[in-house]
Amino acid sequence: MKDEAQAACAAAADLAALEQVRVRYLGRQGLLRDITPALKTAPAEQRAELGRLANALKTALAEALAARRAALAAGAAGASGPRFDCSLPGRWHRPGTLHPVSRVIADTAAIFRTMGFTVADGPDVETGYHNFEALNTPPHHPSLDATDTFWLASGELLRTQTSPVQIRVMESRRPPVRVITPGRCYRRDTTDATHSANFHQIEGLVVDRDVSLADLKGTLAHFAHLMMGPRVKVRFRPHFFPFTEPSVEYDFSCHVCGGGGCRVCKDSGWIEIAGAGMVDPRVFMKVGYDPEEFTGFAFGMGVERMAMIKYGITDIRTLYENDVRFLEQFR
Amino acid sequence: MKVPIAWLRECVDFDATPGALAEALTMSGMEVEGIVAEKRAPDGVVAARIVAVTPHPDADRLRLCRVDDGRGEVEVVCGADNAAPGVTAPLARPGASLADGTVVRESAIRGRASAGMLCAEDELGLSDDHSGIMILPDGVRPGTPLAEVLGPPDTVLEVEVTWNRPDCLSIMGVAREVGAIFRRPVRRPDVSFAEEGGPAAALAAVRVEDPAGCPRYTARVLTGVRVAPSPWWLRRRLLQCGVRPINNVVDVTNYVLLECGHPLHAFDRERLEGRAVVVRRGRPGEIMATIDGARRKVEGLLVIADAAGPVAVAGVMGGMKSEIRPATSAVLIESARFHPPAIRAASSALGLSTESSYRFERGVDGEGVDWASRRAAALMLRTAGGSAARGVIDLYAGPPAPRRVTCRFARVRSLLGMEVPADEIVDILSALGMGVAGRTAAACEVVAPGYRPDIELEADLIEEVARLHGLDRVPAPMPACRVAPGGPDEQEARALDGLRADLAALGLSEIMNYSFVSADLLKTVPAGDPATRVELPNPVNRDQSVLRDSLLPQMAATVGRNVSRQSCDLGLFEIGRTFARKADGTTAEKTRVALGLLGRPARIGMPGRGAATGEETFLELKGLIEGLCVCRRLGPLQVESVAFPALEDGWAVALRAAGAVIGMAGLLREDIAREWRLPGPAGLAELDVAALLAGAFDVPVCRPVPLYPAVARDIALVVDESVTHARVLEAIAAGAPKELTQACLFDTFRSEGIGKDKKSLAYSLVYRAMDRTLTDEDANAYHEAVKNVLRKKLNAQIREG
Repeated sequence: MKDEAQAACAAAADLAALEQVRVRYLGRQGLLRDITPALKTAPAEQRAELGRLANALKTALAEALAARRAALAAGAAGASGPRFDCSLPGRWHRPGTLHPVSRVIADTAAIFRTMGFTVADGPDVETGYHNFEALNTPPHHPSLDATDTFWLASGELLRTQTSPVQIRVMESRRPPVRVITPGRCYRRDTTDATHSANFHQIEGLVVDRDVSLADLKGTLAHFAHLMMGPRVKVRFRPHFFPFTEPSVEYDFSCHVCGGGGCRVCKDSGWIEIAGAGMVDPRVFMKVGYDPEEFTGFAFGMGVERMAMIKYGITDIRTLYENDVRFLEQFR
Repeated sequence: MKVPIAWLRECVDFDATPGALAEALTMSGMEVEGIVAEKRAPDGVVAARIVAVTPHPDADRLRLCRVDDGRGEVEVVCGADNAAPGVTAPLARPGASLADGTVVRESAIRGRASAGMLCAEDELGLSDDHSGIMILPDGVRPGTPLAEVLGPPDTVLEVEVTWNRPDCLSIMGVAREVGAIFRRPVRRPDVSFAEEGGPAAALAAVRVEDPAGCPRYTARVLTGVRVAPSPWWLRRRLLQCGVRPINNVVDVTNYVLLECGHPLHAFDRERLEGRAVVVRRGRPGEIMATIDGARRKVEGLLVIADAAGPVAVAGVMGGMKSEIRPATSAVLIESARFHPPAIRAASSALGLSTESSYRFERGVDGEGVDWASRRAAALMLRTAGGSAARGVIDLYAGPPAPRRVTCRFARVRSLLGMEVPADEIVDILSALGMGVAGRTAAACEVVAPGYRPDIELEADLIEEVARLHGLDRVPAPMPACRVAPGGPDEQEARALDGLRADLAALGLSEIMNYSFVSADLLKTVPAGDPATRVELPNPVNRDQSVLRDSLLPQMAATVGRNVSRQSCDLGLFEIGRTFARKADGTTAEKTRVALGLLGRPARIGMPGRGAATGEETFLELKGLIEGLCVCRRLGPLQVESVAFPALEDGWAVALRAAGAVIGMAGLLREDIAREWRLPGPAGLAELDVAALLAGAFDVPVCRPVPLYPAVARDIALVVDESVTHARVLEAIAAGAPKELTQACLFDTFRSEGIGKDKKSLAYSLVYRAMDRTLTDEDANAYHEAVKNVLRKKLNAQIREG
């Protein structure tokens, strides 16, 4: 029966014929079925052997059927009209992309959330008090000048930094404070490859008991590792900002050369990221925090700058040109 | 600021190489932005003494100079006026390369052989001076290579001085920092000189009418000076620092400014009417000519005036009338301290920033006023001769009270998170020039020197300790994750991130435009409300003169710009703030999202050819917004035709969801699209983000999933063209029982057979009960009821079969 069935399989000219073969042998009333009652009546010592034979027969038949089915399917194209062209383009819905500035803000926020920070927000149009005075900026500091700052006819201004959000947060909450504040800032810079009159910053502020410069260093070093990779090193240099004392600038080791010196880092091995420092006691006094009870640190960073470093963008203007061929690279 | 290392070494000793010094300065707070090694003087250039000068026989402007170049006398042709017998000047011998790469050759100039070339400073690459040949010091032996005369090449550091450290805008200030870093003493130059004749007060008079603007004014008088070019060593220092040499009097004032950071001014005393000056405010209508040749209005500004009118804008720039000129013989040296805001006001009113105003604005040391004056007098006597009158005119209310600041050692530890030994703290503060007035086991009290106005509080001292002890010695422990309560902004920020993700998932790419928009663009693509628009009083340029009150114009322009770059399938969104003036004059901000659509951006895989039609683009845009409403759980979107100036009539709609207007959408006006050569209609929409996020904080409430099967029935109806899909849905809803769960348009059809101004619409209706299986009879009865309402309300013809 095995040979006969295999011959029948081979002879089947198309899938319909093959199906008939299957029904004849393996179907509910197929020939193999007939063996089953015979098994039950067979002598006990032969029953096991017969069962094994019957199963082997079934398996062999199923294999023969599958092989013939595959052969028929393969031959179908040539035999009975064209096959489906599986190489045709798939149909899908192209997802959009997020702007590199948004991506850096989202990545930064995600990292700082793991360190217990939350996001705080403030207006783009600020008061001189929040943007300068409360941040201990001397009244004749050049940044107040109309050549540097966009003052509006109303006496308000377009914030030159996200730092005024620090003041708004401290005015509305008591310590402990742990916030980051991404946002748009404005300076009367003439636009070139590295300057834009319109840019983004992310500010961070921590106020609590016993917060030290070491905590600031630890926090920013951890951020650097998560943002730029575990091999990046962070360097702190003393600097000056009116609202922090001590003030520092911090650099990341160059992501391109790893610190050995290259064109990107101008052979210094370091890439300047931004400023930071311990909150100046004069700022705490403005918002009614007791500088003897609380200390804190603040830091800021330029989002465009981070995006340029992270994605290898060489001209800040491309971030605001909105050429889709540029934007769609950021999937 | 530029710091020549050789000059620095005059004030302080140190062993470090320029590179190591730069690193040490950078790491202590004065960032070194550049280290520039000077070039050597060109080879083949030697000192030569001019022996005789005769006119060139065939050229009026040329002369023949016989020069001694150390090997003997040779003849060179020279065009400079200052080539005179006895002068020693650099001679480029044949074969020498000049700064611009020219190789000097023995040649004939107008028929006379020239055995080389006498050089001006610019030809040697020393400065940009081409007024005449360079004059070398008398007594230099002819034949000495120029490189030897000039001395070894120096190295110049370019340092960035932070705003709080005006004292470091000087060689001596930088030297003090270097001394503190390496713990070496700092030297001050000698300022002693001989005084002769009558007292200064007899030769000039000074009056201060505005003591608030000018807390101290000193004047010294020098007579019998001879104005001439400065000696090379002085010129070289100025050139190294980027200051143009003028003459031996003016150069000395600039030299002292660079050396100690104190700006000075030298007046030609003979040209001061009444030989007297007064410090006062400019009077109404007063105008003066400054030395740069500009005529400037000085009303209200702090000026120095003589009896006839202003002769200098105090602390900013001197006047033409009393400037030092070759004929000047008597000099009044002004050394003063002006109030920083007064100088800042004048500098910004005149749009004029000078080396002088830059320092006065940041503050100079009142105690350094007389020292600078003495230093200038001593140097001028050396370079320009003459004699100094006895004494000084000094109008000074007296020094300010000393600033005493206490530094608690424990506070240093807690603020820095690092242990710094008390001895080290005291040592650092002393090295910085602070006088230690007292010390206990827990704290020290110091007196800040006059040149450090930035030292006011304990935190200021702790910063000094941190930067000189070394920030790299502060540990950087893994952050302790403490939790602080957040505000509502955190929720909103997350919701906004969600919105961004939804928009990207719907196939739109995020763009970012400036918050400024051009007035011209607003004319082309009108949006927002001109009545409440905020204009910038001082824009960077015309294209950025208005604060945007709608995102639409820039979205349209972005579409246009991409088309001009051959990208014609665009799906874009922007989330940004818009601005409008409130009734009280202050500015309101609103966050919005704009959408822009052109062609078939999202479809991949046989997207179709040819421009998308208006219908296609509009429905695609509407579909995106409907999708967004679903993502944001806002319920069904409703549209309502409106007129909007930037959008094509008949294709503009107001958008409504969850009972509120959430924005508007439509197609860009055809004439604009044509002008910008868009290949097809552009879909634009603007939505209010607050409305879109209204449901962001709702929690979905779970409802049971239906257990019983649904019955679907199709229906096709012929209606007048004027009957809208919305009206059909309304009618269906009116006639259907609560068991109707879905009514979906699946085909529209027009033909002559149906009739003119008619259309056929086909809907699939789905009925389902929550509590039982519907029978055919149930479904048929529902369907009949729907048909009847459609017939009655819409005069519809129901097509059977």
